[in-house]
Amino acid sequence: MTEEAILQGCLKNVATAQRELYNRYSPKMLAVCYRFAHNREDAEDMLQEGFIKVFSQIHTFQNKGAFEGWIRRIIVHTCINNLKKNKRFNESLDIVHAHGVQVREESVPSIVQAKQIVECIRILPIGYRTVLNLYAIEGYSHKEIAGMLDIEESTSRSQYTRAKQMLEDILIKKKILSKPREKAEWLLAIR
Amino acid sequence: MKESNFYSDEFEQLIREKTEQYKMYPSENVWKGVHNSLHTKRKWFIGSMSFLVTGILFFSGRELLAPGHSSTHKLAAAGTAPTNSFNSDPARSNQPDDNPHANFVILHPANTAIASVRHLNSSDHLTITISHPVVSQPDLSELLSHAVRLPGEVPSLIEAGKTPTVAMTKAPENPQTEPGLLDSWLVRNAPENSAAHRNTDAPALHNTAETLRETGETSRETADDAYVRGVIEDLSARGQQRTHPNAQINRNLSTHQGSVSNKIKDSAGGAKASTDAIGEASDLSRVNWLHDYAVYSLPPSPSRGRLFFQLVLAPTVNYRNLSGGSMASSKEVGGSGVRTGNVMSWVDQSPALGFEFGANVLYRVTRNLTVKAGLQFNYSHYKMLAYTSPLQQQQQTTTASYRTPLGNAIYLDSMAEAPPSTGTNPYAATSIQATLYNDYYQLLAPVGFDLRVLGNERLQFNLGATIQPSYLLNTNSYIVSTDYTNYSKEPSTFRRWNVSGAVEAFLSYQTGLIRWQIGPEFRYQLFSNYLSSNPYPINENLKGYGIKIGITKPLP
Repeated sequence: MTEEAILQGCLKNVATAQRELYNRYSPKMLAVCYRFAHNREDAEDMLQEGFIKVFSQIHTFQNKGAFEGWIRRIIVHTCINNLKKNKRFNESLDIVHAHGVQVREESVPSIVQAKQIVECIRILPIGYRTVLNLYAIEGYSHKEIAGMLDIEESTSRSQYTRAKQMLEDILIKKKILSKPREKAEWLLAIR
Repeated sequence: MKESNFYSDEFEQLIREKTEQYKMYPSENVWKGVHNSLHTKRKWFIGSMSFLVTGILFFSGRELLAPGHSSTHKLAAAGTAPTNSFNSDPARSNQPDDNPHANFVILHPANTAIASVRHLNSSDHLTITISHPVVSQPDLSELLSHAVRLPGEVPSLIEAGKTPTVAMTKAPENPQTEPGLLDSWLVRNAPENSAAHRNTDAPALHNTAETLRETGETSRETADDAYVRGVIEDLSARGQQRTHPNAQINRNLSTHQGSVSNKIKDSAGGAKASTDAIGEASDLSRVNWLHDYAVYSLPPSPSRGRLFFQLVLAPTVNYRNLSGGSMASSKEVGGSGVRTGNVMSWVDQSPALGFEFGANVLYRVTRNLTVKAGLQFNYSHYKMLAYTSPLQQQQQTTTASYRTPLGNAIYLDSMAEAPPSTGTNPYAATSIQATLYNDYYQLLAPVGFDLRVLGNERLQFNLGATIQPSYLLNTNSYIVSTDYTNYSKEPSTFRRWNVSGAVEAFLSYQTGLIRWQIGPEFRYQLFSNYLSSNPYPINENLKGYGIKIGITKPLP
């Protein structure tokens, strides 16, 4: 079934087309949710809510951009809205210096897996993690992030800088990432 | 900061690439949640169907399993005060089979020595057998040989749970040895406005009882006369309760009742009552009442027994007939050569069990012909053998991944011909079988007739036929691709409205008011399941064989 047919089916509220769309994009979108959420259950709740929004607002989609990108934006906004309901998340955004994260040293994996990177991101404090996800992975600007999270743009920048630093430390401790002077070479090596 | 700026962008790019590669598969519950919130119509449908089925079950339970229940409610709802014709004290009834709801009285003489009241059946018939009739048996037989149907509306005469006085009008067998019984019997059977009711110590009553005790054999006759009087009073009271247009009837009744009462009073007051006069008067009264009332008050009954309610359930075996398609003759299959046949030979399918359930209203046009209409729910499905690869099955990819036997043959041929250097995954070349089910949920409105071919009222052999307009409730079944190689789902292809035809033959057997039936049925869908306006060239017609079981009850 082509994407156009799926889209037309979803516009007619046809269950099979909706299922097809869901099957096609839910694995990626769950991974997105998982990076924002505390655990898998929360991630699935976010995914469910997000897809309900996708199907109910699909008539607003205009063929100006990628369909996947449109879905992704809805999912990310759903995740952010869910996080903002959490008091702990709001407090974490004000943390300037997060305490060091206890990371257990592990053996160097032969291949850097995507799952390991994701799990390392999830170790970050939730405020750092959110900003990192939005800026480095989802591609939002600091201005957009500030608007989404109701924080100052400068706060977003500083949070991101610290998040990146912390992630780097985690990757090094887990021996996924080499020492700083070797980073560039390592990055070239794993590509 | 430990890092250098030159590497910052690359670090972000690495993170982005790696996270993009990561996928997670959500549990099925997530989709169920999404689906349920999007398709509330489905919930309404399930709710409506549940309501419909519950309603049918409730109605059938009330009508078929407890047929007297509704009439009981009607009588109780009437809530009328008891009249003098009926016993208001349950303790006074010693009849084991009292029928307080009787509205159909049959009187006939008998040679038996005991007066009794018994049911003809469990519904609403009451038989009064009169011992020692005071009129000659041939005359009474002639007059009473007909079933006398009193008007159907009886609540004013009957109080639910109470016993008619007529059931207690048998006089004590031996008034001399049972003086107390005789007194109480007289009190009970005296008219409500009589002195006996107003004051049980009235001298007249004692005189009557005393006279009866003293007169020996004569008293037996007097007791019988009083018994007849009780019957007449009861019947008269029934007659008085009705607003009959012919006022003469009531006048006759009053006249005769007074005449009989006077005669009885005279006989009780005197030592020797004229039993002949009493018998004559009571007979005359009864004759007049029965004659007038039976002639003028019998309700028309031809319409009764023509309407019936029916529940049917049929386990069915379902299948389909495929036709059409542009490749109806032959097709070349890679290394396997040319295969021939129509579309039915390109798919591997087998029947599966389904069921149909419905309710009909039947109208008996003649003794042999009955027309019917109703509502029915059908669940039919069949299964198809399909092929897929383990990888595709694991990934639960699109429905197009299921291949027909023809598609599988082509697939295997192409995989065998592919050189290993092309990088083809040999794992994907293997095929595993999968069974696909095509489910159809239909609402139908059958309209047709039943024709009695053989048999009597109790046991019959019938033939029936129906036309069944139908609505398809789901469109998520698999269809075979136009090249016969794959199965896929294309809801827009399906035709919602359709028409089926069904024929059946069945044996039916009557037990009481309920008629049971069982017999084979064959159903065929007249139009293709796929829209003719659709470019899809194949036609699919569902067919089913079943054993239909039915239960029928007359509607009131």
